[in-house]
Amino acid sequence: MAHSTVPRSEAEADETANTPAAPGGEAAARRKPPSGRLSLRVRFRRDRVLLLMTLPALLLVLVFSYVPILGNVVAFQDYDPYVSDNGIVSILHSPWVGFDNFQRIFADSAFWGAVRNTLVLFGLQLVLYFPIPIMLALLINSVVRPKVRALSQAILYLPHFFSWVLVIAVFQQLFGGAGLLSQLLRQHGYDGLDIMTDPATFKFLITAESVWKDAGWGIIVFLAALASVPTDLYEAAAMDGAGRWRRMWHVTLPALRPVIALLLVLRVGDALTVGFEQILLQRDAVGPGASEVLDTFVWWNGVRNQDFGYAAAAGLVKGVVSLGLVLAANKAAHLMGEQGVYKK
Amino acid sequence: MSATLHKPAHEPAGTGGLWAAPPRPSWEEEPGRAGLAGKGLVLSLACLGILFPIWIVVVTSLSSRRTIDEAGGLVMIPKGVTFVAYQELLSGGQVTRAAVISVLITLVGTLFSMAVSVLCAYGLSRTGSLGHRWLLLALLATMFFSAGLIPTYLLVQSLGLTDSYLALILPSALSVFNILVLRGFFMGISQELVDSARIDGAGDFRILWQIVMPLSRAVLAVITLFYAVGYWSAWFNASLYLNDQDMMPLQNVMIQLVQKQEAPVGLGQAIKTGQLSGLAVQMAVMVMALLPVAVLSPFVQKHFKKGMLTGAVKG
Amino acid sequence: MPLLAACGGSDSGSRDGTTSGKDAKKILPAFVASNVVTPDIPARNGSAIGFTAKLDLATLKTSVPEKLGKGGKVTVMSPFWGSPPKADNAYYQGMNSLIGVDVAWQNQDGNTYDQKLGAVLASSDVPDVVVVPGWNMTGRIPSAIISKFADLGPYLSGDAVKEYPNLAAIPTDAWQRSIFGGKLLGLPQPSPYVTGIVPLYRKDVFDKKGYTVPRSADEFMALAKEITDAKAKRWACLDMKWTAWQMFGVLSGSEKPLGWNLVDGKLVNRVETDEYLEALEWTRKLFAAGVVHPDAELGKTAPDPGPKFAAGEFLIYANNISQWWGRTAEQATQNPEFRIWGMDVFAHDGGDPHLWAEQPAGIFAFVNKKASESVIRDVLAVANVTAAPYGTKEYMMTNYGVEGTHYTVKDGVPVKTDKGNNEVLNAYVMVASPAATIAHPDFPAVAKAQVEWQQHAGAFTKKSSFYGMQITEPARYTNLSDGFEQLEDDITRGRKKISDMQQAVSDWKSKGGDKLRDWYKKLLDDNGTAAS
Repeated sequence: MAHSTVPRSEAEADETANTPAAPGGEAAARRKPPSGRLSLRVRFRRDRVLLLMTLPALLLVLVFSYVPILGNVVAFQDYDPYVSDNGIVSILHSPWVGFDNFQRIFADSAFWGAVRNTLVLFGLQLVLYFPIPIMLALLINSVVRPKVRALSQAILYLPHFFSWVLVIAVFQQLFGGAGLLSQLLRQHGYDGLDIMTDPATFKFLITAESVWKDAGWGIIVFLAALASVPTDLYEAAAMDGAGRWRRMWHVTLPALRPVIALLLVLRVGDALTVGFEQILLQRDAVGPGASEVLDTFVWWNGVRNQDFGYAAAAGLVKGVVSLGLVLAANKAAHLMGEQGVYKK
Repeated sequence: MSATLHKPAHEPAGTGGLWAAPPRPSWEEEPGRAGLAGKGLVLSLACLGILFPIWIVVVTSLSSRRTIDEAGGLVMIPKGVTFVAYQELLSGGQVTRAAVISVLITLVGTLFSMAVSVLCAYGLSRTGSLGHRWLLLALLATMFFSAGLIPTYLLVQSLGLTDSYLALILPSALSVFNILVLRGFFMGISQELVDSARIDGAGDFRILWQIVMPLSRAVLAVITLFYAVGYWSAWFNASLYLNDQDMMPLQNVMIQLVQKQEAPVGLGQAIKTGQLSGLAVQMAVMVMALLPVAVLSPFVQKHFKKGMLTGAVKG
Repeated sequence: MPLLAACGGSDSGSRDGTTSGKDAKKILPAFVASNVVTPDIPARNGSAIGFTAKLDLATLKTSVPEKLGKGGKVTVMSPFWGSPPKADNAYYQGMNSLIGVDVAWQNQDGNTYDQKLGAVLASSDVPDVVVVPGWNMTGRIPSAIISKFADLGPYLSGDAVKEYPNLAAIPTDAWQRSIFGGKLLGLPQPSPYVTGIVPLYRKDVFDKKGYTVPRSADEFMALAKEITDAKAKRWACLDMKWTAWQMFGVLSGSEKPLGWNLVDGKLVNRVETDEYLEALEWTRKLFAAGVVHPDAELGKTAPDPGPKFAAGEFLIYANNISQWWGRTAEQATQNPEFRIWGMDVFAHDGGDPHLWAEQPAGIFAFVNKKASESVIRDVLAVANVTAAPYGTKEYMMTNYGVEGTHYTVKDGVPVKTDKGNNEVLNAYVMVASPAATIAHPDFPAVAKAQVEWQQHAGAFTKKSSFYGMQITEPARYTNLSDGFEQLEDDITRGRKKISDMQQAVSDWKSKGGDKLRDWYKKLLDDNGTAAS
């Protein structure tokens, strides 16, 4: 969701424009038909095809996003998945226990361990994740040869499209106990090193993996922001005798500031959701002490231990806090004069 | 990977031809030798950091057991090429089946997701149409919350989707973000074209098919890639909802073969006794997983920026 | 003695507890010994029976004179260790036509079987047969077993079992363990009560390098350091935690009830004992000494040790006794020099070891409650073949496959082919087995050594208080000790300290461990003990 919002920029310098003009608010405003006066029936007749078109998507959203919300009632149950053959029927037959599951959660040191890991990972990713795409974007932006630009972007984007399974497998080959690094160390008489199973460095490993996978992709947004800086600003600064570095400091970085701030704020909204799949794949290798985050905690207790009521309660706590964070982040984005992911 | 990718990422300046630099604006000073070299070095290192691991994986997958033993594991410098690992994997066993399953799920899933998303995006692209605001809000709201793993799991199980490929497609078929990107793009299409078609008696389906979609090729390509990569990379839902090991897609098989270092079905004995290198087999599976992505994504690359940037959401 | 109902106060239902005495007698199948072939080594000290003489393959007996299967289709979900064969292979076909039932296998990774089991049992399409190892009966699995599986009593109790002579020959203590919630639900896989975990080592390399088999903890450590040369990619061993349990005489951890023992009138759990901590500390030192192969760091996700053991990357590992023969057969054709052997168990101080008995049956096959009578009959037909004793055609087929395809006969001895090693693995032996048997006509020396190993270990084996009982703990305590195994691995690998374990044990006591102790005490008072 970090990239879901990007400041509107018309300047798409090096992109082939084989499509109609970039969509903009003006176009939308222009064609707004007068609707207030028409009766519901007329409007339905006019728009029924459009409604029909949205139907499949709405049905999917209803079934797989809205209906499951009701399922959270198991958080208030001692849910027994085996009283019937059907998850929903089992809800009807399981005893209600009020807030018992929540009390257990708040007394569970494993839960608080997961909270701590989640927040530490979030902090690390925040600190290490942003500077690298920004630097890469600045670097690529200063390259003038179009071929070099395109080629380096093609390479840097590539890992974004790799699955987590693949990324972790690649890291295992490089840094695992039987990996390339250990292999080289041993051939030169040192002890092997197994970074993949070391809980002490696990959080850095997770961060390194996500940087490798997604840093290249992250530059897209910053490149766009850079392209939108009017050239006359640079020219004027150059006329005033500002060198390359001073231009970067006084023109380029200020232009990026709103984008950075916005992305930061939006990322805060996602704070409690850090790399579920990525961590789940490596949980066994380092043990839950270092690797358990809120989402894997829910998975472990529910899917693995069939303690669904307990897991759902933990999931609900996480969901409510997350929703609060997202809303707060958007509010903050609005206050910054930006658009956020939604607009009133 | 196309041949051009193997060229050095940053050639020294001044060789002319395709790699020649366009003239810089007059106010910008020509970069110094050190500056150029530094930039080239950093960019090359960044690209190398991505290409080098892939190189090792590919080379090891193509190496014989002897080469691998001599190297003490992963092979950096190729000594001869052998396709033994691929031949074994693609001779109709577990990996062949998993690859076919993954390709089919990706094709069917992507087609389904695109159809539903494009229809929905078009259906919501006319501001002021009946229910437009509410429907949009219902979609948008799902970006703010998730029902949670446990309730979703119970629902999918109750719907009887366990051990069905529908469980790998339906629950994750839609990305609201993708719908909004498409919608944003559709709204930018010239209204005159649409209006004149309507005067000619075209209905909405025909307008979508004959006018809107041909004009949106770039964004359609990007979103198709996003969906396809999503299906191709997915493993968690399969691990959750599929019990039959014979139904597992490639990523799940890769977890077993590479992460857990198990031998592929039917090849256990050959690997245990050293007739076949387990490492080469693992690397070959990884290459199979990355190949389609590495081949396809550069083609869509030039549209990424457009696709991402039009994602700005309108309320 | 009464059928034991809830002891845990507010716990509802009568699912927890155990069944013993008269109530059990009414349910248990009659025992009719089989005497197809007389063993060369009779069972002693809890060992299996051993067959070491040459088997005349031409005159194998038939224990199932007519096919009992009615040609139905039966799906079986079972844990599988290693790489499973293709679904439609010659071995499965051969077995199915011998039985007269079309068995379809749903093999699941044995190492992560618990993750799938819970989900499958909660769904509406439970396979006809589900194999559940005792160590996977955690969480709510015991209650699922009781509510989801069919009562086999009507088909097997008392004389009814005589319709299936090979099942009637399964020892009664294995059937006793198959009673869940007061009903006969499981088809057992009898096992020797002697520990099944053997420290296996590369005898060929030991002989060549002149290493001697260690007799104490210190000797093991010294040897391990001598062997290890990380630069040359050689380590001494994998995780030796299980061997440490044996060296220090730690109560069994393979099943929760076995972890309790009555000491001076008070029940003590294995995690509360000094031996437990000492064994952990020794294993920690082993890891810290750098003599453990890096693969062992991976814990549960560690790969199959086979290839690297064969390649000599490590020389010792502790695993199930079945691998002694399994690895031998697997490498025989390709690597003739390869020799794997088991170290006799030893005590940490070099004296007599103190071992604790395992359960006489640890793996069970259950039939879906919704299965029709004809499906149940077909399942029993499968079990009657897989439980055939050594020396029969059925045993040969179950364990060696089809002659000419899976094994060839050289000098009257069956030799497994590569195809045999690929296909004749796990699967059918999981449904039900004959009385614990060790017989390897292809490697009689291994069979002899295995039985001797068991009998040596058996001489030092004692039974703890709940030996032989099938006990279902109250649901709210079943997850109580789930964290210990992970903590053990964290400590031995240096991620946590011994003091963390002491803390965890005191948490465990206050979170319900002490209540669980009372529950077990009452169970013991009501039922008595099988310990001797």
